[in-house]
Amino acid sequence: MFNYVIRRFLQSIPILLVVLTLVFIVVRVLPGDPAVAALGDYASKEAVNALREKMGLNAPLWLQYLRFLGDLCQGKLGTSIITGYPVGTQLLKVLPYSLELTFSAILLGFLFGIPLGISAAVRRNSFIDYFNRIFSLTGLSIPAFYLGILLMLVFSIKFRLFPVVGGGDLSNLSSNLRHLFLPALSLGLIMTAYVTRMTRSSLLNILREDYIRTARSKGISEWVVLLKHALRNALIPIVALGGVYAVVLIGSSVMTEIVFSRPGLGSLMVGAIKQRDYTTLQSVMVFYSVIVVILNLMTDLVYGLIDPRIQYR
Amino acid sequence: MGAEKLERELYLSKGGGKMRKRIFLFLMVAILMMGLIGFSSVRAAEKLAKEQVLNIAFDAGDVQTLDPHRSATTVDRSTVDPIFNGLVRYPPGNQVKVEPDLAKSWKVSKDGKVWTFTLRKGVYFHPFPGYPNGHELTSEDVVYSLKRAADPKRSSYAGEYVGMTFEAVDPYTVKITIERPISETLFLAKVSNYAGGFIVSKKAIEEKGDEWAKTHPVGTGPFMFESYEPRQKTALVANNKYFRGTPIIKQLVIRYMASVSSREFGLQTGELQIIEGLKEEKWVEKVGAFQGVTIKSFGPCETQMFYFNMTKKPFDDMKVRKAVSYAISREEVAAFMGKSLAAPIYSAALAPPSPGALTKEDALKGGVVYENNMTEAKTLLAEAGYPNGFKTEVIISEMESSYRKPMIAIQAQLKKVGIDMELKVVDHSSFHSLIRQDASPIVYYAAWRPNVDVFLTRFYYSESTVVTGKKPDTNFSHYAGIDDLIEKARWELNSAKQNALWKEAQIKVLRDVAAVPIIRLMYNFPMKSYVDLGHPLEWSWETYSPQITEKTRILAK
Repeated sequence: MFNYVIRRFLQSIPILLVVLTLVFIVVRVLPGDPAVAALGDYASKEAVNALREKMGLNAPLWLQYLRFLGDLCQGKLGTSIITGYPVGTQLLKVLPYSLELTFSAILLGFLFGIPLGISAAVRRNSFIDYFNRIFSLTGLSIPAFYLGILLMLVFSIKFRLFPVVGGGDLSNLSSNLRHLFLPALSLGLIMTAYVTRMTRSSLLNILREDYIRTARSKGISEWVVLLKHALRNALIPIVALGGVYAVVLIGSSVMTEIVFSRPGLGSLMVGAIKQRDYTTLQSVMVFYSVIVVILNLMTDLVYGLIDPRIQYR
Repeated sequence: MGAEKLERELYLSKGGGKMRKRIFLFLMVAILMMGLIGFSSVRAAEKLAKEQVLNIAFDAGDVQTLDPHRSATTVDRSTVDPIFNGLVRYPPGNQVKVEPDLAKSWKVSKDGKVWTFTLRKGVYFHPFPGYPNGHELTSEDVVYSLKRAADPKRSSYAGEYVGMTFEAVDPYTVKITIERPISETLFLAKVSNYAGGFIVSKKAIEEKGDEWAKTHPVGTGPFMFESYEPRQKTALVANNKYFRGTPIIKQLVIRYMASVSSREFGLQTGELQIIEGLKEEKWVEKVGAFQGVTIKSFGPCETQMFYFNMTKKPFDDMKVRKAVSYAISREEVAAFMGKSLAAPIYSAALAPPSPGALTKEDALKGGVVYENNMTEAKTLLAEAGYPNGFKTEVIISEMESSYRKPMIAIQAQLKKVGIDMELKVVDHSSFHSLIRQDASPIVYYAAWRPNVDVFLTRFYYSESTVVTGKKPDTNFSHYAGIDDLIEKARWELNSAKQNALWKEAQIKVLRDVAAVPIIRLMYNFPMKSYVDLGHPLEWSWETYSPQITEKTRILAK
């Protein structure tokens, strides 16, 4: 198993390299100069040139690329060409916020999604099934930022229950949770929609299988049939797609972070794009790619746990 | 089959009942927890008044630099403003004439070339590593700071200080020598609490370096830098040693929030006390109706100008340029943007009441008002050889209030005389790059500059022509018609004569139709009614935002 994990990591290095090179090229091909963006339209041409020189932007492209790769190999994520702060420090500061948001959204998604999906599958064509289908369709269609704003309007403006600004104080649990609740809920509800849909259809398929009929005929209680036999098999496609949706969720989290003014990788990245902050952008992309790779790997490993037929060597 | 189904249902319903009860319980607990967790999120005015913490949110993604000799964006300028002082300052909120700041008095020599400033005693810089009590400001710091502002390698504003020498006569006297005498208005502007005029600590920058200064501003102002969270906020705390008195506000938090709806919500919940507004009438109306919020529009406003690249066909023909001008209705554009924010302008530089700005009366007298005349426009176009109009492609920034929206109005107006102006929308950063590469035949530009001289120089001086000029800047028109007038006005010592020369220059620009002035747009910063700025907010020349001073406070009611 361990060998398998190592092998997977090694296999993802070429992919990461391609992603990074693409980002490097695209960002520099775009019109827009970080020095002009940094100094504003008020600055003189000399000042802009001086800053470009300092940012290393006047060096030939291949040299910039090599410097970038070289830094990465040494584990250096570089310094922001706009603020001068080390990118690594910035990343570490916002990472806990992103991780807790993603994690709670995925957790909520499975926590609500699976029971809802089960009840919809079991009580097919009942009220709960229809509710579930409408709910999941809405969740799939609604943009994350819109849902975020709606929740803000209801829970923060109308009912004054939750704050709307920032990520709260990490050291203070109550503040942290208060600021986490609405963003996690907006992403979590969307994740729930995905998961419940998947659970329902997957379970319905399984429940038609012969071995389920056999189990029932053996006299086992319906709950045991459901949870021990049916669900375990149904979980495989759920987990597979869950992993995919989790990655989609990370993308949606960018808008959520902006709407709630929450620190995180997403807003870090968008800010870097706007300011043409090449170093920050590149390093955040590296990070995102690594997270995606890890998520995919975790998904595969969870299969192995669920399905005894799958073995990783 | 039927019996099977029935059996299954029976089994399920037995377990189902228990399950349903469990779900119900779970939901109740969840709701209760939500309530408990969320309960104390409301920020009451009384609590805020006790803490005296002011949160102000800007439309920005992040800080660029807190080095006052480099700060250029609205949010950065607003952040460094309460941290630093200049030799002189414009009184907060009403900024037309200067008053003493770090210098308590000044005089100029008979030949107008030597300015002598006497500094205040007992002004202290904020504490920084190695100096837990700061250190006193002396002429050494002033000279160091001005020299730094004059150095193009370390300052974006070096152009203002060309040909100046600075000398520390004694610890509290500074002498500034200039090559050619200029008017008092122009000179004092260079040493005011703005841009290059901000005075930095020599010890801090010499010991810690310029890079450090970018993120650790050390000044003499009412507020000092405390902390910075990337992309989130910068926190300043009160400077109890401030020479004008201890600030009432204890902590000033500048937040970077690019989403206007987030800023709005933050204002409503009370988490934010002042927010940067949207320059849109409907938005202003909406927010003005919020409970407990006051909204005030203030100047000096940016001026929005329509520049022709006079070297590109068909805009090399004055008849075509005049025709375009006649087709435009400023009133209509202003109404489109919102009457409370926008007003037509007739000045080729800044909006009145800036000294030397052209008023409508001046323009009418000079016979350079070309607007609202469709027939004249069509006649001119026909004379120029375009009886059916023509097509042109113009690059415009995505930014709504200052660029895209007004251009959409103008596009519709030009359509009526047969001019099809296609708008290529790009993001703001790209826009600024592209227009400086002369990529668009027409440039719509919103700007504010500290005085008419700077404006005319940067937009109409031949050396400032984009790409081909000796010192390329923002002369999008490739205009070279007022070089001599600009120089004459710059060196004119008498303010009245100087203003007259500036007006003459603007009339010439308009007569040559190098540009069409459109509107000026006011700023607005909605704030909670319990915020007392401590000064009337009429004009905020330099920072584009309400200044926070030692007198600002949060009222308990």
